[in-house]
Amino acid sequence: MDENVSYVVAGYVITAIALGGYVLRLFARAREARRHADTVAARRKG
Amino acid sequence: MDVAARGLGKATSRSGERALGVAALVAVVVSATLSLVVAPPDAVQGEVQRLMYVHVPAAWLAYLSFFVVFVSSVAYLKTRRIRWDRIAAASAEIGVLFTALAIVLGALWGKPIWGTWWTWDPRLTTTAMLLLIYFAYLAVRRVVDNPSRRARWAAVIGIVGFVDVPIVHLSVVWWRSLHQQATLLRVGGPEIHGSMLAALLVGVVAFTLVYAYLMTLRLRVGRLEERAVREALSPQVGELEEADA
Repeated sequence: MDENVSYVVAGYVITAIALGGYVLRLFARAREARRHADTVAARRKG
Repeated sequence: MDVAARGLGKATSRSGERALGVAALVAVVVSATLSLVVAPPDAVQGEVQRLMYVHVPAAWLAYLSFFVVFVSSVAYLKTRRIRWDRIAAASAEIGVLFTALAIVLGALWGKPIWGTWWTWDPRLTTTAMLLLIYFAYLAVRRVVDNPSRRARWAAVIGIVGFVDVPIVHLSVVWWRSLHQQATLLRVGGPEIHGSMLAALLVGVVAFTLVYAYLMTLRLRVGRLEERAVREALSPQVGELEEADA
């Protein structure tokens, strides 16, 4: 096997982690912002 | 501009977002199969050349992201509609991700082929400058509190900063560079084997779909974060109005 395959594996793994991680981070930010807005709105009403 | 805004509105609906997510995932799987299984290894570089199928699309998507920042910044300064500022902010954040990815993937490719992770070559140096420019863009957005001033300053950086994109692209032509010349956009047509070209083009399409999906997600996050700030500020605004009365 080509001795440089590890660089290819590392590149594809880093790409998957970077893009997948950013998607998960955006989901977490959306959840946090919605929860924060709902909490403040509920406190004001209550 | 209105047609583009309507199209963006459809794409950023929840069903549009889900459809884009599925399309991006399918395209990424097809792209990975073509680039890792179907395309042959390079005659000179061997297996490590397969990094081209992620490195080049990442770099192209960085260009596209910053082009969107540029167009949205011009549109904001012309119309003063905050929607354009939101699009520019979202695209800049994603562009920074793709630029950093292109640099890391280039380093991984450079180590076995050039014998070094990094060198102050014109292409690498101008790309590092591109990353710093858009880091500054994002930093300004965090530092300035006033929304209209923030949008105005960011738009100016988004327009001026875009000047570096053609410099990055043409750096291998203008200066003596270790980095290879353009493979696709060159006089006389592309210079690679058909199956490699197909894998590369599918990679660019897959990354473009990923960019579109990330944009829809990031725009939704932006709207939700603005709503959270509005909700947090609205009682204070009410108190101020009562005090004034």
